[in-house]
Amino acid sequence: MFRNYLKKSESSDASRLSKTCLLMLFATLVSSGCQQNPDLGPVANVATFEQTRTAFKSGSPDEGAGSAAAATGTGWATIKGRIAFEGAPPVMAPYNANKDQATCTIDGKAPLQETLLVDEASKGVANIVVFARKVSRVHESAQPKTEPVLFDQKECVFLTHVFPMTIGQAISIKNSDPVGHNTNIEGSNGFNQTIPANETVDFTPQKAEAIPKPIRCSIHPWMIAYYLPRKDGYVAVTAADGSFEIPKVPAGEKIEFQVWHESGTGPGGALVLDTPEAKELKWTKKGRFAVTLAEDEVREIQLTAPASAFGG
Amino acid sequence: MNGLMAMNHESLRKNLTLWMAAAALFVGCDSADPPKFRLNMTQMVSTETPLTPASQQEIANVLGALFGTPDDPYAVPQAGLDLSRLRMAAGAAYSDVKGTNHGLYRRHCVHCHGITGDGRGPTARFLNPYPRDYRPGVYKFKSTYNADRPTDDDLHRVLINGVPGTAMPSFSLLPSSEVEALVEYIKYLSIRGQLETELARYVYDEFEGETEPLLDENGEEQLDDDGNTIEQRISFDPANDPEQMEYVLELLAGIVEGWDLATERIVVPNEEQIPADDRSAAEIAASVAKGRELFYGTRANCVKCHGPTALGDGQQDDQDNWNKAHKKFLEDMAGAENQEDINPGVAATRPEVVASIYPVRNAIPRNLRQGIYRGGNRRLDVFWRIYTGIAGTPMPATGAASPGAQGTLKEDEIWNIVDYVLSLPYEAPSLPQRALPVNPEAVN
Repeated sequence: MFRNYLKKSESSDASRLSKTCLLMLFATLVSSGCQQNPDLGPVANVATFEQTRTAFKSGSPDEGAGSAAAATGTGWATIKGRIAFEGAPPVMAPYNANKDQATCTIDGKAPLQETLLVDEASKGVANIVVFARKVSRVHESAQPKTEPVLFDQKECVFLTHVFPMTIGQAISIKNSDPVGHNTNIEGSNGFNQTIPANETVDFTPQKAEAIPKPIRCSIHPWMIAYYLPRKDGYVAVTAADGSFEIPKVPAGEKIEFQVWHESGTGPGGALVLDTPEAKELKWTKKGRFAVTLAEDEVREIQLTAPASAFGG
Repeated sequence: MNGLMAMNHESLRKNLTLWMAAAALFVGCDSADPPKFRLNMTQMVSTETPLTPASQQEIANVLGALFGTPDDPYAVPQAGLDLSRLRMAAGAAYSDVKGTNHGLYRRHCVHCHGITGDGRGPTARFLNPYPRDYRPGVYKFKSTYNADRPTDDDLHRVLINGVPGTAMPSFSLLPSSEVEALVEYIKYLSIRGQLETELARYVYDEFEGETEPLLDENGEEQLDDDGNTIEQRISFDPANDPEQMEYVLELLAGIVEGWDLATERIVVPNEEQIPADDRSAAEIAASVAKGRELFYGTRANCVKCHGPTALGDGQQDDQDNWNKAHKKFLEDMAGAENQEDINPGVAATRPEVVASIYPVRNAIPRNLRQGIYRGGNRRLDVFWRIYTGIAGTPMPATGAASPGAQGTLKEDEIWNIVDYVLSLPYEAPSLPQRALPVNPEAVN
């Protein structure tokens, strides 16, 4: 039947035109069936609903099921160390300062980025955050503090690039520039307010974060800093020479530490290492390692991180 | 076409039927499969929480148990949602014999906002701005402080007013019961979406890649031939794991609390500082002048983004949160291309998810000369935009961030800016005012 149709309309121009029209219509119909938004990922299996709904309806589960890390020890210990860069230290490019150049650039030069700061002399990497994920007891010195944390910005750069804090502290957001900024904090503690020139605005985060979150300015979008609010003080940020120390961590229990850097290639910026020292610590792909410290022990960790761990 | 006419009536009919049948085959019968909620794939394959297909399936199952499906919604009691309203909004769109409309969401919303409320309906790709993705639970035009959820009234107002200047129409012709059903359904999609993100983080943080020893019926660790414990993947199954269920309930409670608190977080302007309705022209002009000074000043910084003549041509390099997240996702995916040890299921899906992302758009500050106010043109609406900023966008707050916190501007100053902004569309184009830099070197 097809062949008859084709043969019949072979001859005249007009019938060739009609064949083309129909072919084009056909092609349009075929292509319009192609998905713009492909349906990706699995869908819920309805058979599992009933059991889950019954379980959730019965409300709270058995008592004692959701306990914190089992406390097994007494006393306190210290963990400290140094993280050094392996290879040639990277050269930082300047920020793209395209607004308020009078304030934000010096002699026409924008400040340099701080995405990977390696000390020339010691090869230490600064601004790596090491913190305990969950502890069963907190020493007095690591209890949440009350005094405010000063967070200043000058010449369109946040003066503290990475800072930890405890829940209950206020951040005193200061603007030491003659131009206005707005400080935009991401994460569970949303905040976005204009900070007038030469004034200070206080903000008290209420929720802890699992990983450091960015702080930006919308007027000067190149400005960036990171902050980590936690419930305890077991957080250290490496100094310029790459060294860190967390004193008075609970001894006698397995503590998992998360290691983070803004350029880290792991999930959320986790620093993933597979050097021999890291393998000894059973460093995970999530940038974590776990240690159990004896009472009064001072554990020292020396690590080197290759450029690839920072996305290089 | 003459060729077609030349064919006799009989063969024309036969051929047309053939073509139509072929066409129907290729266009596809989408009505055969009911629509389903899809996972937030940019979260599931992100570098932040790369989840294996097995974990994705488990999360999908838990979400389905807690919230049901597009045809059959469920309201887990802890979510505090009204199931009867959800049922009005969910399901296939049709009118019954009595004339009651069913499937309201699919009748009015799904073509832009998508079945999962992800802002990826069939028309979304062609709209500027893109339709709202409800899943982060962030809404731009509301009466509450910047970081807080909208109230039911806020969502109701958006449905009734629409969003002028965008493709979002007004639904003021719908009976109020239908509007309320849609408000409930939007909250439902938001709570579901927020919980999905929290579950992805929880499952990735605690269980993905971790193993636990395989236990036998007596609860003792099974050993293999070498005497080592057999490790098995930890599954996410709150129905059978009380600790997991407790944590999921905790996550849900945190999310629902934000929504419940919204009515307590409304920014109520101080009565005494609200400008009177019977001000003289001179008083209004004085307020406008003050507002103009503040607009160009370094406390409100309006001029920095809205531009020296308020055309919206200031800082245009930033994005709103939804586009920023996509931008970050695309950058992360580009960086992750050479990574080893990625689960094959994740690695296979990533290019498809990348291809499905709509083009990232920058947040262009509003052109204030047009007199189009997306969040409403009442003085109170403009006051709220300036006081609380616009959540999810670079537009910052100038008022307090929360009750009792320290604001940048005083309320009467904000009302001055309101007067100035509302006067901008009426400045005669034949007598344009020059930009008024307070700090000439600071305005560039």
